[in-house]
Amino acid sequence: MPVLAAILVTAVLGAAAFAQSLGSVEVAGRVKIGTANERLKRKRFYLFRGGLAENRQLVDKLKTSAVPPSRDCFYCSLGASAEYIAWLKSEDCESPFCRSIGADDVAKVPEFKSAYQKGLEQFRNKPDLARNWLTVNLPAPLRNGFYLQRKSVVNSLLKGATPLQTSMTDSVSVVAPFIDIPLAASTAEMFLVTNVVPFELGGKTYLWVCEVKVDDKKRAKLSLNLDKANKPAGKCEVVVRDVAPCAGNCGTK
Amino acid sequence: MMRVALIILTVVAAAALSAWPDRSGAQNRDRFLHSSPAHKKKDCNSCHLMPTANSMAVRGFPDVAEFPGHAACASCHGGKEQITKNFCAACHSSRMPARAPRFPFPVRSRSHEFGTIFPHNIHQDVIAKVVRNPDVAVGHFVQASFSRPPDDLPKFNNCALCHQTATKLSKLAARVPAALQPMATASPDTFIPAAGFLKDNPSGHASCFACHYTGIKPAANNCAGCHSLTTAYSPSATLERYSFKFDHNSKSHAVRDCMTCHIRIASNGDLKKLKDADVPILACTSCHNHSDDLAKELNARAASTDAKQAAFQCNYCHTTAIGRFPVPSSHEIK
Repeated sequence: MPVLAAILVTAVLGAAAFAQSLGSVEVAGRVKIGTANERLKRKRFYLFRGGLAENRQLVDKLKTSAVPPSRDCFYCSLGASAEYIAWLKSEDCESPFCRSIGADDVAKVPEFKSAYQKGLEQFRNKPDLARNWLTVNLPAPLRNGFYLQRKSVVNSLLKGATPLQTSMTDSVSVVAPFIDIPLAASTAEMFLVTNVVPFELGGKTYLWVCEVKVDDKKRAKLSLNLDKANKPAGKCEVVVRDVAPCAGNCGTK
Repeated sequence: MMRVALIILTVVAAAALSAWPDRSGAQNRDRFLHSSPAHKKKDCNSCHLMPTANSMAVRGFPDVAEFPGHAACASCHGGKEQITKNFCAACHSSRMPARAPRFPFPVRSRSHEFGTIFPHNIHQDVIAKVVRNPDVAVGHFVQASFSRPPDDLPKFNNCALCHQTATKLSKLAARVPAALQPMATASPDTFIPAAGFLKDNPSGHASCFACHYTGIKPAANNCAGCHSLTTAYSPSATLERYSFKFDHNSKSHAVRDCMTCHIRIASNGDLKKLKDADVPILACTSCHNHSDDLAKELNARAASTDAKQAAFQCNYCHTTAIGRFPVPSSHEIK
């Protein structure tokens, strides 16, 4: 008898699972801010169940948290050369892993040159290996310090709040899709989308916390557009701040 | 009575034989189990050297390129009574180790005991920040020194560090939807993709060590950082896909970011949870939702079933081995 009951329960649960309603949201990374057109390429967004009201504690925490140092400030504070920072900046890289390092780059960037020389010693004078594995010999903070710092900020901000999904905008269509979102009911349900860590755009930082209605009929679309007064187009709370000045001799950014 | 006993004996023997693992010659020589209780207690580095002395000559980069030496085994298996001929054949190509060379390491035809730990999500965050935006506001020095020529196609997100265009076509098979019954016998279909339609997977340490050799954790000497012990398995040489007609190198596909289609890759922290290439139909329909592709085929299928004719077999993306199945709800254009 208990076996029969278990089979029935399993069958019912299985059927329920099969009938799970799924929704999707598309976050548009092509953003109009005032009159400027921006593309938020390769940027991560987080999805939470519930709208702005249900996630008020998290929303307030995100809105009031300090903005972490900018990429340029971070590397400058480590004493990175102007050439290293320029190499990163030229293709909006956050770390040296973001693209291949060519022979020209080795010649121009002192940190690359030094790592290359170490590699030649380490890898028995094999130039290709020394260059292809160049990051192995870069100082650790220059290598993945910025990623670790951002990760630590995200972990701290999301302590106690687990996102349902995360997604990233691609660099061509500039869209961050959330798909197969399990809906608790077949009717529409509210979700929260946020970038958690503010993005830097033109000397300012932007934090979006938006709610979006999702159902299983149509893909929901979220626009992050802001008008000239930084008023959002959708149901978003947006915090726009000036990029914090760098400490020490690293200039204003 | 004798006949019954004979039948039982035959059945038992047949069952025993069918349960016997089907092992190739190379696998038969593989008597070493990483999963044995005694071996599991050992640190990987207590047997495997990283790098081995031969690695630069064999691989061209520092790597584990040979089986551990005798010292690794002898520290526990010292007594002659424990050294059998099969014991030697785990590493040596013949049962006379005094003269026999060792197998090249690893022996790829042997069953695998390790799964790979690779969190795509972390790698997307760390390495995948390529933005090739000519209108990005940067200083004159930067423009002069680092901008790329316009004919230099981007290698999106450094995915190409690990996934290169395939040069050899794998053995292919249709990935049949398990829960569905085909609506017809597959129509003749001779389509065979070119090798370059597909991307390959890294088969060794080279692409990992380029960043993880030292410093970045897990480093090369931390085997367990990337390899997790699992039930022994033989990887399939057959590549199963729903759509073999997708050409990664076609003009309109090659200029797209890998993540435009591999949508879930930015959130995948566990390779085991990745469903093969894992491209949701949404990725296709964002472009292919016109009257000459998906919509056309959906209409043709609907028309054929409405007219109670043989089901139209979709062949724009699929071979007919797949195109003869019922249209899943995911293909409905929303």
